[in-house]
Amino acid sequence: MFEEPFRFVEAIANRREYIENELAAGSPITALAFDRGILLFTMGRDRQKLFEVYDRIALGALGHPGDIERLRMLAIELASTEGFTRSAADVSLRRLVNYSLSPSLKAAFEQIYGPPYLARLLFAELGTTASTDHFVRVDFDGAIHSNGNPALKKRPGFGVLSGTKRSETRMEDFLTKEHRGDHSLHDALRVARDAWVIGHLALGTKDETNPAAPFPSAAEIQVTQTTVLAQAVFETAILDRTRLEGPTYRTLDASDLAAMSR
Amino acid sequence: MPRPASEPAVGTTVGFSDFPELLRARGLLPVTTAAAGGPHHAAQTQATTILAFKFAEGVLVAGDRRATSGNVMVYDRADKVLEIDTHSLMAIAGSPGAAWEMARVLSHSFQFYRRTQLQEMTVAAKVRSLSKLLRDNFGLALQGVGAVVPIFATYDAADRAPGGKLFFYDVMGAQFEAADYATTGSGSPAMRGVLYHENTYGRAPLRSLDRDAAIGLALRALDTAAESDTATGGLDPRGKIFPVIKLVTAAGVVSVGDSDMTRMLPARHE
Repeated sequence: MFEEPFRFVEAIANRREYIENELAAGSPITALAFDRGILLFTMGRDRQKLFEVYDRIALGALGHPGDIERLRMLAIELASTEGFTRSAADVSLRRLVNYSLSPSLKAAFEQIYGPPYLARLLFAELGTTASTDHFVRVDFDGAIHSNGNPALKKRPGFGVLSGTKRSETRMEDFLTKEHRGDHSLHDALRVARDAWVIGHLALGTKDETNPAAPFPSAAEIQVTQTTVLAQAVFETAILDRTRLEGPTYRTLDASDLAAMSR
Repeated sequence: MPRPASEPAVGTTVGFSDFPELLRARGLLPVTTAAAGGPHHAAQTQATTILAFKFAEGVLVAGDRRATSGNVMVYDRADKVLEIDTHSLMAIAGSPGAAWEMARVLSHSFQFYRRTQLQEMTVAAKVRSLSKLLRDNFGLALQGVGAVVPIFATYDAADRAPGGKLFFYDVMGAQFEAADYATTGSGSPAMRGVLYHENTYGRAPLRSLDRDAAIGLALRALDTAAESDTATGGLDPRGKIFPVIKLVTAAGVVSVGDSDMTRMLPARHE
């Protein structure tokens, strides 16, 4: 039945709709640069969503846990074999995503007899300076959204991931306005949390993106955070620019997060 | 497009947890086979003389800097005490070519395990990983090239009695846990004597030494080894070539700086 071109297009469209529905409830993830590196932030109930991939690369993912695991393993295997056969400095997020992950995802998505990946990924790569930090979002169909295009007038120092396009756009609009690369960890946590709440609120609403729509007030953000936190916990990790070699990834501990409980 | 090595067959585990297994699957870890024609005796580079002992804060590991090939000195700044992860050291005597590759595989294995399995590898498994690599290398060692006799030192915080742990190996990969000290390499008989004597008849057992006293003893022992063994570099403060001394404590691995070594140098070198 799939021999006719029209059927193929239809099948792909159905598949896209199905996957987007499956992923629509995915909780947001924020990654942003601060004065000592990159912060990754999310709130979650039970599953770990932030992972270490290699010395300077971290991953945030939403979707089906089985598919996330397959993609996470693939990324770690590729980075580790590259780091082993060449050197840690040769491991590059651009190559990892462009040459391996994106083609794998696209192939799985379009081979309509096989299962697609029900997952979306956000990678952050720590540069030697903040101006070379790299944030890449990879979609279930292999589409790449990156801050690393040299043609960009201004290179944003953040990346976001969420269940819906609208939610992501809202978070990006907010971060474009509020984020600065020289934030302290404390300020970065607050901005990342606010962006998360904005993304979370946008998941529930159906209306079209309106760039001028006002962002929730500080009080609203606080109320939402408290409500969410009744059933969830913060999940945070950083890539630490002060570590000059070896792994830079670490999860934040209670003392780092103390400021967030206020 | 090649199938990702991690792509699971139905009913199996996703991915690898063992890094050497992944390397083999990708053809990146050559399998050594015995060459025909019996043992060859090509001149090969050798690294020598390592000592390690437990002191008050953890484990001290020290090595001289000399690499030799027959009676030629190849290199006088070799680093034979290698940091494997934040709390583990591997020190090597024997063929640096094989040993540095082993250290590289080992260090990637520990990281790979932590990243994929989302938990730290246990000390028992780390010690065993090195054992397996030695076993894989045994074919080469039998031919008279590429033999490695390492020491592995780590700090086990997860143990019921947290503290430094020290292991030494034979060429075939047998692992032995050292109670107090271990030595390897051509200069080791002399140092073994020094360490035994200090531990048994000295002013204080090795385990009770503080950091400075431990560094001082390590320098004296290396100097003693160099006195009779030409393959051991010993101390050369005038040429500013110091041995490598690293400490594994609860806080992780630290390298002892030249200034600390100068301070603790045996009197006749001052």
